[in-house]
Order: sequence, then structure tokens, then C-alpha cells
Amino acid sequence: MRNRLWSVYLSLLNMQYGVSVLRHRYLKERRRLWELLLLTVTLIPFGVIMFRFFWSMAEMLFVGGLGLGQPHVALVYGAVMASLITLFFGFLSVLSAFYFSTDLELLVTLPLSSTEILLVKFAVVLTGKYAINLLILLPFWLRYGILAKAGVGYVISAVLVFLLLPVIPLLIASVIMVLLMRVVNLSRHRDKLTLIGGLLVVGLSIGFQVWLSTNVGEGDPQQMLELLLSQTEGLVRAVGRVFPTAIWAARAMAQAHTLQGWLNFGLLAGASLLGLGALMFIGKRVFLASILQGFEASKGSAGKRRAKGTVKSRPVLGTLSLLEVRLFLRDPNYALNGLVGYVMFPILFAVSLFTQEFTGSPLELLATLELPSMFIFGVIVLYVTAMVAMSMIPSTTFSREGKYLWFVRSLPLKLEEVILSRALAAAGVNLVGCLVGVLPMAYLARWQWGSVLLGVLLGALLSLVWAVSLILWDLRRPMLDWVNPIRAVKSNLNAVVGLAASMVLVGALGVISFRLSQGSSAWLVPVLLGLVGLALAAVNYYVLQRFGRKQWRQIEGGM
Amino acid sequence: MLKLERVAKKYKGAGRYAVHYLDLDIPRGEIFGFLGPNGAGKTTTIKMIVGLLEPDQGKIQVNGFDVTEDPVGAKRSCGFVPDNPELYPRLTGIEYLNLMGDVYQVPGDLRKKRIDYYLNMFELTGAVGDLIQSYSRGMRQKLALTGALLHNPPLFILDEPMVGLDPKSSHLFKEVMREHVREGNTVFFSTHVLEVAEKFCDRVGIIHNGKLIACGTLEELREQSQQEDSSLEKIFLQLTEEGERP
Repeated sequence: MRNRLWSVYLSLLNMQYGVSVLRHRYLKERRRLWELLLLTVTLIPFGVIMFRFFWSMAEMLFVGGLGLGQPHVALVYGAVMASLITLFFGFLSVLSAFYFSTDLELLVTLPLSSTEILLVKFAVVLTGKYAINLLILLPFWLRYGILAKAGVGYVISAVLVFLLLPVIPLLIASVIMVLLMRVVNLSRHRDKLTLIGGLLVVGLSIGFQVWLSTNVGEGDPQQMLELLLSQTEGLVRAVGRVFPTAIWAARAMAQAHTLQGWLNFGLLAGASLLGLGALMFIGKRVFLASILQGFEASKGSAGKRRAKGTVKSRPVLGTLSLLEVRLFLRDPNYALNGLVGYVMFPILFAVSLFTQEFTGSPLELLATLELPSMFIFGVIVLYVTAMVAMSMIPSTTFSREGKYLWFVRSLPLKLEEVILSRALAAAGVNLVGCLVGVLPMAYLARWQWGSVLLGVLLGALLSLVWAVSLILWDLRRPMLDWVNPIRAVKSNLNAVVGLAASMVLVGALGVISFRLSQGSSAWLVPVLLGLVGLALAAVNYYVLQRFGRKQWRQIEGGM
Repeated sequence: MLKLERVAKKYKGAGRYAVHYLDLDIPRGEIFGFLGPNGAGKTTTIKMIVGLLEPDQGKIQVNGFDVTEDPVGAKRSCGFVPDNPELYPRLTGIEYLNLMGDVYQVPGDLRKKRIDYYLNMFELTGAVGDLIQSYSRGMRQKLALTGALLHNPPLFILDEPMVGLDPKSSHLFKEVMREHVREGNTVFFSTHVLEVAEKFCDRVGIIHNGKLIACGTLEELREQSQQEDSSLEKIFLQLTEEGERP
């Protein structure tokens, strides 16, 4: 008989990643095998590009570090990068797995303690992080190993470090989220607070990390260089300041043949164990209570809501758009993943701007950069268009409905109404989100308001048309059979392809627009973007007529 | 009001037809009970009527509208309550009802009147401001029923409406259906509860392995099964067992 926790872990893992569903679909029924092919074709070039990028970076860091007698700065850098990514995505994964997955109602009825549920959930999220870490760490560690002519000890140490490295960042994310949710679940406005709290936590953590990393070389550059050279491992420490456990990981691997190396490994393992103990300690006290509170929280506010519960009439398109916005924003799983980009990019920009070494105020410098108006216009249009895909609202619109899709399909609605209302909702949310970044930027950089206004207007139109394209893509084969709602967004091929297509489209338009904006034919930028919008609209119309209606009628499932 | 002609449906990868060349003609003002064992094809038939599945063959007409040719017209004539109404959990009850009112274009005053009427009847007034995720199954069913009746549909379709309801709610559901028919509309519902069908329906149809094996009033079914004074249960068992024989 299998250990019960192990058994629960395997079952949750299966549900989280849909292992049985995929096995049944691809191996037993042998359906939709082309999806696997498409996924492979999409991911392999991406994987190769990333691998080569990290490989070159590792080599550059190794060579650079070797000059200072610290070649293992390459290992530190890889570990820091992996840790930051684990921390950032950890917030969202933990929130979804710990508090919003539908298996919680089953888990709390099983004879498992609060700590055991937390441990198993943590293990499931952790398992997912290994896949991402492998993509980052493998090229770094391979390149280092080859250049340093590392031995067996290095390999053994690398395997052990690989297993431990994501534990601490994920523990930090877990502890913060468990505490945040304890507070949030006490409130009537649970969903709103989760969203605001989640965005704040993610935003602050990004800001803090960027601030730390850009302050590595603060002060007089000459003095800093001398410090890096004079101190043992000065450079390693400077890089590792962002995530100190990365230093232990790097030393454990680089000095795997020495006692010193294994002592560092011991530090990493000890810190991980201590962190796990802390999570279990906190979890024992607040986790289950927080979940149970969450089950109740949806009821408590009847009185307040009843006051708002009035009969109101709206036009069909308006009511359907509002429905889409409500369903998206009220589910913290979707809202957090979709809105995080609107917060993240402005923060990244602001922090990096204010932590650079400028002579004079960075704002003044920004304002003195006289960018061509068509350049500003193009940047805004393409930012707004790219972000509508980043939000994943349109590319997962039907998938997110899952078993609720029967409802809209049973209503007397034309498919055009369904699609347009969803596109309007996506473009509307996107526009508001983009203005959060664009308006302060325009004000601080003293951009011409005419260019900004035109950029926002054309951006809104282009993003609306692009949203329709992405919605039609999701309609082609919506992913409706999910248990954890986050799967409809994060494990959805439609979202991945939508993002990739958006990158290609915006990237290509960006390059062309940039070239045009530099010369005398800058006026061609709006013409080009307008024509692309019209062409896309025509393609959308054709796809809707040729395939859309048929597909809408033929969807099976969603009930 | 509802007409099915040679309607057939086979699911991908399935060996047999879920619905096998089904013919039905249900006139206005009738309560029609659709009976059958598990997996007989009741829900598949209903899904095809309300536009959730596309028939492989055949024609379905609702209030004169062809479901395939004019799905919007057909859906406008229908009100539908599924067996387990999965309603958007993050909407409040009143938001859901307003959505239904907007989509079916029910004017404000009439909407308010009907919403108040049904919410009072189902004792949902106090919960209508709550998120649907906090509703019990029975409450969700009542809310779905209210939403489906807001536009006073000529054809009211319910899939297993009595499952999971307490006796009082079950009684109310039946009352609502009777009242709806008294207003000149039609009710089509599937059920496992033979007693309900026996006492409540003007006609019943029995489907088995996708085929309609009997259809008519209780008297006509007795004649068909050659069992005078038998209950619907006995007739049902006899007919479905006969259907099993090769």
C-alpha cells in the first residue's frame, strides 16, 4: 500500500497537470495528436533560443568572472535568475493551488491535517517549478561544467542543488500568501482584496528585486571595481545580494570537491528545512482556518449586496460585455494572471529608471529626449495591442467558462454578438490597464498629447480587432475540461499560441514602424498600422463566416 | 410547438447512436414527459432541441423555427433548465436574472414583476444579492427556473427537474409548470420519477437505447403494452425490458 500522502500528492499532480486526460486523449483515443506536434514545433525553437541565450551568458560570465578569480559568478547568476522567476510565478501558483482549486472541498473532508494538506499542495506547486528551472539552469550549469572541467562531485552536487534551489523562493511566496489570505478571507470583500493584495505583493517583490539588482554597482564606479577586485568573491556577493541562497548553491557546486562546498550545500539544505518548518508552523495555525473562512466568505455579505440587488435593463452587447468583465475580474485566478502585466511593466520601467546613474534628474533626462511623434505613436499602439494578448482575456474567453459554457450557447444570441461583446470587454479592460502605464509615462516624458491620444485611439481599435482574432482562435477548440480554473489560462495551448502570434505580429510591426518613424516617411506609420487593422478585420470576418458558426454549433462539452 | 423528424445523433468514437431517428410532435398547451433509463438518450435529445448539440441528421422545429437554420429564433421561443444548472458562481442571483432579462429583452416593469413573483414563490428574495456560489443545488435550480421563465417562453424545457429538490420545492416546480401550460404554453421535461409523469403529464414518451419505444397518454401506453390498469412503472419496465431483447 502506498503512503497516503504520496498517494494524495500523485492524485493532485495528476489533476493539476491533467495527466490522465492527456494520456487518454493522446494515447488511448489518439485524438488531436496534431496539438502535440504544434506544441513541439512552437516550443522547440523557443527552447533552443533560450538555451543558446543562457549558454552564451554563462560563457560570458565565466570568462568575465575568471579574470577576477570568481568564475562561479556564472552559477550564481543562473541561480539568482531561477530563484527570482520561482518567486514571481510562485505567488500566482501558490494562490491558485492553495486557495482557489476545486479540489480543496474534497481535501478538507479527508482525514488529513492542515499541515499535511499544505505540504502536499506545496509539493505539487514545487514539482511544476522544476520544469521551468531546468530550462534556465541546464545551459548555465552545462556550460560552466564544461569550461571548468568539473568532475563527478559537481554533477552530484548539481542534482541536489537543483532539487533544493526553488524551495526557498517558493516558501517565501507561500508564507506571504498564506498570511495575506488569512487577512483577506476575514473580509467580506474577499475576491477584491485577494486581487489587490496579490497585485501589490507581486508588484512590490518585483520592484524590490529590481531595485536590489540595479543597486549592485551603486556609488563611484572606480571604487566599486576596486571593491570587487579586492574582496574575495566580491563580484559573486554583489550578484548574489539579490537572492543570497544563490551564493550557497553556486559555492556548493563550484567547490563540490571540498568540504567547503558541502558546507555550503548544508547551509542551503538547512535553510530550506528551516523555511519548510516555518511554513508548516504558520500553516498549522492559519491555513485550514483560512480555507474554511474562504468557503464561508462568499455568503456573508447578503445584506450589503441586497441593497444593490435591483432590476436593471441594459442593451445586449453591454450586458454581455459586463458579464465577461465581471467573470474575469471576480476570479482572482484570472484577474491576477491577466492584470499583473499592467502593473509589472510600469514598475520595472520606473524602478530601473530611478535607480540608474544619471547626471541630473532622470525625469529631466526623460523629458529632454525628444522622441519623434510617430515613434511615440507607434510605441503606444503596439503596447496596447500586445497587452491585450498578454492579459489572456480574449485567447481564453471560452476556455475559462468550462462547464458553464452551456449557458451562453443556450441563449438566443448571434455568434457575432457573443464575440464582439467579449472583444469589447477584453479591449476595454486592456485600455484601462494600459493607461495606468501610458499616462504617467506621457506626463513625465512630456510626450506630445496629440501623439498619445492618437496612439491610444488607434491602439484601442487595433487591440479590439486583434482580440477578435484571439477569440476566434479560442473558439476553434476551447479547453473546457478543467478542474482547477487556472489550467484554463496557464495550461491552455490557445493562450500560448495567442501570445506567440502576438509577439510575432507586434515584433514585426515594431521593427517596420521604428524604421519608418526615423525617416521622412514617418507618416506611413499610422497608415501601416491602420491597414494592418483593416486586413485583420477582413480575415476575422472571413474566419467567422467560414468556420466560426459551424464551430459554435459543434462544440461538445461545456456542461 | 415542438417537432422532431428523423433526428439522429452519434457521438464521436461511440459504437451506437445516442439518439436513433427520433420522431416527436408535441402540440401547444401540453405537458410532455420524456422518460427513459439512464443513458437512453433523453439529455442528448434535449441538448439538441436547445442548440447545445448539433443533430447528425433530421430536423428539429421549435415554435416553427428550425433549430439549425434559425437557432436564435428557436432559442427565443425556449426556456431551458438543465439537470444540474451550472450557473456562473461569481455572479449574484440578481445579476444573473438581469442578464437573462437583457438577453431575452424583457421590459423593465414586466421583468421586475416576474422576478418578484418567482423570488417570493421560491423564497429566494433574501438570497438574490448573494453570489451564486453560495447557493445550494435546490436554490440554483430555482434561480435557473426563474431566469428561464422571465420571458414567458412558449416552450419550457426541463431536464430532470425534480432531482435534488425537497418536497415543497418539487411541488412548487410542478405548480409553476401547470401554470405555464394554463397560459397556453408547452412544457417538455425528462424525468426518472415515474409517479410524477403518471399524475402530471398529458402525454409521455419512452426512449430506450436512443429509440422512441412508446408515446402517448397513459391509456394509450396501457393499450400498447396490453396491460390494463397497470401503473406507468410496470408499463415502463415491460417496454424497456422488451427493448433489451434481441
